[in-house]
Amino acid sequence: MKIPYERRKALYGYGFISIWLIGTVLWFLIPLTESLCYCFMDNQLLKPTAGGMRKSWLPLSGGKWLGNFRYVFAADPKFKESLLSVLKSTLIQTPMILIFSLFIAVILNQKFKGRGFARAIFFLPVIIATGPVYNIISGNIASTGADSGVQFSTLFETDLVGDLLEYLGVMNISPGLTDFINTVVTNIFGLVWSSGIQILIFLAALQNIPVSAREAASMEGATAWEYFWKITLPYVSPMILANFIYTVIDSFTRTDNLVMIRVLDKQQDWDFAYASAMVWSYFAIVMAVVGIIVLFVSRYVFYEVD
Amino acid sequence: MKKRKHAPKTETAAQTGSGEIRKTAAPEAAEAQRPAGAVPDVRQAHEIGDGMTKKQAMKIRMQSMSRSELAYLRRKRLAEKGWPVFRFLILFGLGFVILTPLIFMLSYAFRESRDMNDPTVVWIPRHFTLRIMKQTFRAMHLNRSRNNPLVNTLVLNLGCSVCQVITCALTGYGFARFRFKGRKLLFGIVILMILVPVQIISIPLYMTFRNFLFGHVNLIDSMLVMYLPALTANGIRAGLMIFIFRQFFRGLPRELEDAAYLDGCGPLMTFLRVMIPNAGSSFLTVFLFSVVWYWNDYYVASSFFTDKQTISTVLRNLNDTLNIELFNNANANISAREKIVWLEAGCLISITPMLILYAFLQKHFTEGIERSGLVG
Repeated sequence: MKIPYERRKALYGYGFISIWLIGTVLWFLIPLTESLCYCFMDNQLLKPTAGGMRKSWLPLSGGKWLGNFRYVFAADPKFKESLLSVLKSTLIQTPMILIFSLFIAVILNQKFKGRGFARAIFFLPVIIATGPVYNIISGNIASTGADSGVQFSTLFETDLVGDLLEYLGVMNISPGLTDFINTVVTNIFGLVWSSGIQILIFLAALQNIPVSAREAASMEGATAWEYFWKITLPYVSPMILANFIYTVIDSFTRTDNLVMIRVLDKQQDWDFAYASAMVWSYFAIVMAVVGIIVLFVSRYVFYEVD
Repeated sequence: MKKRKHAPKTETAAQTGSGEIRKTAAPEAAEAQRPAGAVPDVRQAHEIGDGMTKKQAMKIRMQSMSRSELAYLRRKRLAEKGWPVFRFLILFGLGFVILTPLIFMLSYAFRESRDMNDPTVVWIPRHFTLRIMKQTFRAMHLNRSRNNPLVNTLVLNLGCSVCQVITCALTGYGFARFRFKGRKLLFGIVILMILVPVQIISIPLYMTFRNFLFGHVNLIDSMLVMYLPALTANGIRAGLMIFIFRQFFRGLPRELEDAAYLDGCGPLMTFLRVMIPNAGSSFLTVFLFSVVWYWNDYYVASSFFTDKQTISTVLRNLNDTLNIELFNNANANISAREKIVWLEAGCLISITPMLILYAFLQKHFTEGIERSGLVG
């Protein structure tokens, strides 16, 4: 039997991914379509029985098939609120995380004494922040008042952050700015703890900047500031996009965000149809937002063409 | 010798306006020229001279500089002096923020609960004790011989991670190196796996496991619910791992495989004999991340296990367990604030293995991903 070389290679390709393909169909695609179907089923009748899920479709007539979504957006007491608050906090947090992690990555990429140690500390959140430990700790720390910049203020019995802002003259420029700085300072714990992976990815990108670019820049007498804007930023811009997507996905799939908590509540109440309708509309909205932003940002992304 | 090396270096720096570039090449060149006496571009060489310190030489040089050059030098000097201090302050402050929870845990886990009501006790406990740790250890069922969370977690964690790394590597290699119909579509599914939260598929998946093989087998509470997906490259965050492996294999030179093919190796053999030895660090990185993710996962575990416990699920339910097992009698009057002591002890117990792992393999965590080709 003689199979052409190209065909044979293609067959081997299928061979390599076949294990994954079987698994994906079984553990991913089938459940995925099934949960999509749940959105259009009668919530009252959708209950697990001994043989499997008992299902019955909502009637197609008169827009009744959208009944679950109508319930989720119109009747559910908490869903819309928590959806808005999650979207809002994600939109505020994501740029902060990106800027912060890029800043830290640039610093950790410089040569100085104790760099290895500093890196080890800054990547520590990577191993802890995905687990239940993080929730417990941040809750406990908050309840003892040891989070945020305020603890230093209480230490010195004065509003240190406010004083500093006043001193720098930023306090009264605009209430928005003051608010922003206050948010950063109060959330510094969450900020630092949720940017471990992002720092890691940025650091990897920084190390891929070719030496020739650095040499050319210093030959022209670029300052560190100019170097950052003209060299570093274009080179890491694809990773800014990647990090943006990662950050959004990470924050919206966290089991401790409000929407997910609501979904889990519904699941525990055996309102499976409502729960799927919630999680699917949530997913669709987040994907739409991400898609728009990615379309917008990707025009400014610089790819080095070899 | 030291001085002579310095002088030419600063000269060339003055002429180009930035001190960085010719640093390495210039001294040798200038030194080679010096004995001959005919030095073309060191007009100031005799003014500056060999016997001067660097500072004096700089002073002379600066006299012949334009204003903008001087400003540049001043800015540069300021940045070079000020930046390390600033950098240290930033790193120290943020490092403190990161370490706070760990210090917090260590400080709270070893104190008597009555220290919590003492406003003078902040970081250093007044009554040091191991009692809390022991009680928490029991409350987390870590002293059981059957259904021990730690044993469960280890068996699941290591086994699933090994399976998942192997299958994800195979899949990633398939996507990276072979062209076949529908490859783009299938890879789109991999991306979808990264994007779709587990919560969407958890209920149908539960039903699948509950009625496995058309309702003949109930897999809930058996370890297979974790092992089966891991064996088929669909475990926790498998999409991300496939993606990392694909990027990594795409970055390896094709010549490696071509040579193996010419020598008569089949694709599988090529993968085993040529690609895997080259992918060592990448494998280790992904394996470590997988271990961490399985260790920290509680959503999947709590969805599919009712009786079986892992470290994360125990920790997740620690508050309730404590209420039932420790504070269930009338005279145990424990406030929420005092309870923190036990919770922190639980946190400490559950992250200690990961911390030890991290302490030993920290280099691979941080450097492996840089070399794993996740980027570009």
